[in-house]
Amino acid sequence: MTRLHHFAFFDEGSKKEIRRTILKAISIPGYQVPFSSREMPIARGWGTGGLQVTLSIIGKDDVLKVIDQGSDESVNAVNIKKLVEKTTGIAITEGTAEATIIQSRHRIPEQPLTEGQVLVLQVPAPEPLRSVEKSERQTKILHAEEEYSGAWLQLFEQIMKYGQTKTGADHPVYVADRYVMAPSPIPRFDNHKMNHSEALILLGAGREKKIYAVPPYTDVRSLAFEDYPFTVESFAEQACHLCGSTDTFLDEIIDADKDKVYYQCNDSHHCLAQVNGAIQGKGDISYA
Amino acid sequence: MPLDYVHDTQAVFRKVMDGMAQPGKTNSLAKQMIQIDHPIDCYHSTFLTMVTLLDSEATFHIKGNHTSLVQRISQLTLAKHVEESEADFIIITADLPQAGLISAIQSAKKGSLIDPQLSATIIIETPELSSGQEWLLKGPGIKKVKRLKLAYSQTINQAREEKNQEFPLGIDIVITDQVGKLVCLPRTTVISEVSK
Repeated sequence: MTRLHHFAFFDEGSKKEIRRTILKAISIPGYQVPFSSREMPIARGWGTGGLQVTLSIIGKDDVLKVIDQGSDESVNAVNIKKLVEKTTGIAITEGTAEATIIQSRHRIPEQPLTEGQVLVLQVPAPEPLRSVEKSERQTKILHAEEEYSGAWLQLFEQIMKYGQTKTGADHPVYVADRYVMAPSPIPRFDNHKMNHSEALILLGAGREKKIYAVPPYTDVRSLAFEDYPFTVESFAEQACHLCGSTDTFLDEIIDADKDKVYYQCNDSHHCLAQVNGAIQGKGDISYA
Repeated sequence: MPLDYVHDTQAVFRKVMDGMAQPGKTNSLAKQMIQIDHPIDCYHSTFLTMVTLLDSEATFHIKGNHTSLVQRISQLTLAKHVEESEADFIIITADLPQAGLISAIQSAKKGSLIDPQLSATIIIETPELSSGQEWLLKGPGIKKVKRLKLAYSQTINQAREEKNQEFPLGIDIVITDQVGKLVCLPRTTVISEVSK
């Protein structure tokens, strides 16, 4: 086979710089390490940060899973998979347990990750203090001084206005009791999966040129007040209409024609596995 | 087969990354070590770690009198050899006495509060990992506590503790041995003696 690309698209120099950045990110959990983000063959905002991390760590023996909003088959996930597969020739999977590297946008898989796996999250806005401080120089000083009043005030203002915190996704977390970190736009439902995760979590922001990490078995606390504890999305005891799960993150699907609301698992692989498991559990089914 | 600078360095990096993510975990570079087909004036595991992480954008310092090794690494990686206090990577070969290691820890750069990533990584050679006194490791990346046997003295530990006392400032350590074993001790890891 003629090789049209260098292995994993990047030149070795780019990989080395990103690799050194990743090591620093792991040794300073939650701290956003700057790196010289490369131009990628996909547009910024489509996961260039995550993709750069994935391409820098991936090897011939890896098995890759890419999800976008919980789905293995959405445009973003499919294109990233195609690019990595074409330039590395490695195996692609949809199975969460089989993957050694899972690149994801907006979700952490329902199935708990295990030691040795690496979760790469795509991050659009890595700076949790950006909405209170526009200047990068200033936010770096705020992080240096562990001055997080801005992050707390934001939540406090939401409580004053709405009676509760109103972070839809990307609810800020405290990592290893030192850095306040944006967990990427995962739902609050997924925040606890970062706390003492068995898998290493790497977060890449291509446009903002930052890489940060949460090592395994690291304290990750969602920011909350004693009298307003952290809460996750509630689905009012709804179940997935396909697999019947009640403990997963559900999407609300509105059928306007029938004026009906459905709930469906957001994690497509997990849902399918549940459905298949239920079928297998019934023993031999005759389809004749 | 000679060393494959694309795939072998990728494999080495993943071992180092895994080691940094799980401090105290012993990984092996034995598979990549056998690919090195030329003599080199340091442990093969140290050599592999250097060629994996160094390039023209990184600086290094090999402590002691190792002119030919310095030259070799510079030629291979294009990394600059600089003073100990400026180096991104400091290499302590096995022949260096303990005092050399302590002075390296003391003079290594530890970053600033605004840019803690501008700190040194020290690669230390030890004849055999998993031998010597037993130490208790705690911190991010470790489930409860980890026990590690290491030829490591209380004086070295004190120097490291002093260097790392103001997190996020500090140094990260990679320990390599003759047979290709590798252990990482990032700045977050708290090391203490096993109480007898």
